[in-house]
Amino acid sequence: MGRDRSILLVFWVLGLCLASAAQVVKPKNPLGNGLEVVAEGHTLYNKTCTACHGRDGTQGDRAPALGAARRYFRLSEAAIFDAIKNGIPGTAMPASGLQDTEIWRIVAYIRNIRSTASDNDVPGDIQNGTRIYQGKGGCASCHMIRGQGGLIGPDLSSVGAQLTLDQIKASLTQSAPPQAGFVPVRVTTLKGEVIKGVAKNEDAFSIAVLDMQGKLHLFTKEELRNVAHEPESLMPRNLDKTLTPAEFQDLIAMLSRQARTKVRREQQGENEVGR
Amino acid sequence: MKTFAIIICFASTLLAQIGDKQLRQPLSDNWYQYNGSYDSRRHSELKQVHTGNVESLVPSWIFHVPNAVHMQSVPIVANGVMYVSQENEIYALDARTGRQIWDYHRIPAIQRAPNRGVAIWGDKVYFTTPDDYLVALNAVTGNVIWESKFAELSEGYCSPAAPLIVKGKVIVGVAFGDRGLNGILSALDATTGEILWSFHAIPKPGEPGNETWSGDSWKAAGGDTWLTGSYDPELNLLYWPIGNPSPDFNGDVRKGDNLYTESVVALDLDTGKMKWYFQFTPHDTMDWDAVQIPMLIDAAYDGKPRKLLAHADRNGFYYLLDRETGKFLHGSQFARKLNWASGLTPEGKPIRVPDMEPSLKGTKICPNSYGATNWISPTYDPGTGYVYFVALEGCGVASKNTETFRPGGFQYRATGDIPAPDETSRMFVRAIDMRTGEFKWEQERAAAHNFGGGLLSTAGGLVFSADYEGQFTAMDAKTGKILWHFNTGQRLNAGPITYSLNGKQYVALSAGADLISFALFDKK
Repeated sequence: MGRDRSILLVFWVLGLCLASAAQVVKPKNPLGNGLEVVAEGHTLYNKTCTACHGRDGTQGDRAPALGAARRYFRLSEAAIFDAIKNGIPGTAMPASGLQDTEIWRIVAYIRNIRSTASDNDVPGDIQNGTRIYQGKGGCASCHMIRGQGGLIGPDLSSVGAQLTLDQIKASLTQSAPPQAGFVPVRVTTLKGEVIKGVAKNEDAFSIAVLDMQGKLHLFTKEELRNVAHEPESLMPRNLDKTLTPAEFQDLIAMLSRQARTKVRREQQGENEVGR
Repeated sequence: MKTFAIIICFASTLLAQIGDKQLRQPLSDNWYQYNGSYDSRRHSELKQVHTGNVESLVPSWIFHVPNAVHMQSVPIVANGVMYVSQENEIYALDARTGRQIWDYHRIPAIQRAPNRGVAIWGDKVYFTTPDDYLVALNAVTGNVIWESKFAELSEGYCSPAAPLIVKGKVIVGVAFGDRGLNGILSALDATTGEILWSFHAIPKPGEPGNETWSGDSWKAAGGDTWLTGSYDPELNLLYWPIGNPSPDFNGDVRKGDNLYTESVVALDLDTGKMKWYFQFTPHDTMDWDAVQIPMLIDAAYDGKPRKLLAHADRNGFYYLLDRETGKFLHGSQFARKLNWASGLTPEGKPIRVPDMEPSLKGTKICPNSYGATNWISPTYDPGTGYVYFVALEGCGVASKNTETFRPGGFQYRATGDIPAPDETSRMFVRAIDMRTGEFKWEQERAAAHNFGGGLLSTAGGLVFSADYEGQFTAMDAKTGKILWHFNTGQRLNAGPITYSLNGKQYVALSAGADLISFALFDKK
């Protein structure tokens, strides 16, 4: 009986330890990740970190470029804070000697250059952004969000979780070749019927065309007289000119919050050191 | 000129909405649902490929499904597009060329296999996920329209079966019965995803049937709904097969008949209320899920036209029921190795042989727990009047122990069986007379322990069969003679389908990690 009790006690203590380990909360950035904090962090970063990591986090001769498209060991705010404050033992990364508030600003900047748009508090009137999306911007006629909208363009239900803020801005303002599945085509059937739309798929012998009315046509090339490709995407790239600056910002704010499917950061190695 | 007409006609039908009218059609050019048609006979009227030319059947295209293993998914074909799924993923293909139109990958993806297929209604395709969501996607682009949760992952439920859609209701079921999770069948609104009704396969206290469970055993009882059922539009009844009771091998803790496990239930489509049930194996202790797909057949029986339901059960008996009333009409033993029952009563109840159940030391029981047949699809050919299914002849030594139910989806089987050392195991495609159960022919499969894929029959006089060892074969429906075979080089676990586009008949199936579509050799 006495032995049973001591075994129980061991399990109880063990359980308590496990429970408290599970409840450990990693510190979050107390300053938040608003664009102002990010801008201050950017300035601090370029003053303090560029000797090794390169300007704007884009390149580094002596240490990794922190904003490049690569896989990182340290992803969470707490892990980045720890690296700046205490350095990384066994590497050339020193303890920074900065104040905690300064470090958190740099953390916000590093997270920002790596993060997707939905990770940022992009300022703007979201409700007005939705109105612009559906009205003046003309977005909804081609794009779908949560089951509402057109089919010819990519679904934007998770665009905020898929693209960075810069990528969203660029997609509205800068010309770019069309992405696979959205290449504009004009096909002419043997009878002379012309169908205009985007190629969902194409090889030497077949093509799938989604026409501008959202109707799918599946052809073998033998059934077509001609297939003509357009070099430019159907996406208008001048929204910064057709909208006022405020409207443009509201649209960006609205799009950045579209995150139906959030990729779990834990699955990408969040909070892990080394992998 | 004719070519032009065909092209225009083809193109103009591509966005046709799929509704009640299409889904009620006899199985022909399209393959709209998991079982082909509401009657689940898997018999197609297509006959361009027939006994005289099937030797010229060659692969038309192959589509590799990335990361797939042992696919159990039956593709569907609608408006020239083929949709094939595996867990968390759907691929839409041009059914003539095998070229991908779109793909969908669910995030986050809980990895629990398998997924057996998708369903189509209106302009959307639907499938269920391992974490119990019904996902509705635009059929042309794969854009997600909505997701609707219908069961609890945290309780252990998952959903492997292809949904059945009738009159805008999406019927979805759950697994696992081997983990003490009580079966649920739910109808969701195809437009909104709202749950309209749920049928609980294990009756609660105060409901008829609960008295067939001793004590509190009904609480962790199984009876899951892990395969797709059938539907009769005239009677407006769904016919759903129900799985095994838990714990599978120890019936001592759940004395009684254990309704509605090991049964087929007839449910009103509009309300989910049960009209009748028929239990094949009362108080099962061998994990003989009765999920074998019920085939609905209209034919003369005893001299008058009758609405029949044919079902070859995992317990080794073949059954013919009146599907208006559930009345037992005929039953006969199809498994040669069968020692647990000496026959059926006039009401269709098994006459049990005493002590033929799992024991502490082990009891030799035939068929074994794989069953004399299993979930792989049967077919019925009205031309021959034969029912075809895959049959296993094998015995097991079954033992039981005591196991405590743990909520959350943990195994609750109370042990199992091992192959009987003094018995061989053999697998057959078997043909029996639909009315009498009389043996007609059989063709042995190479894989002796794995059921492999299901069957398909066509008006071309053929039965197609997918052997686990990788051979895809076509047999003469009358005699069982093998007329064509093709080594896919992969394990076959899914049922074949057939469809026709631009006047060309295709036969297709999921093979291991690939989808292969066959057609007659064309010199062009």
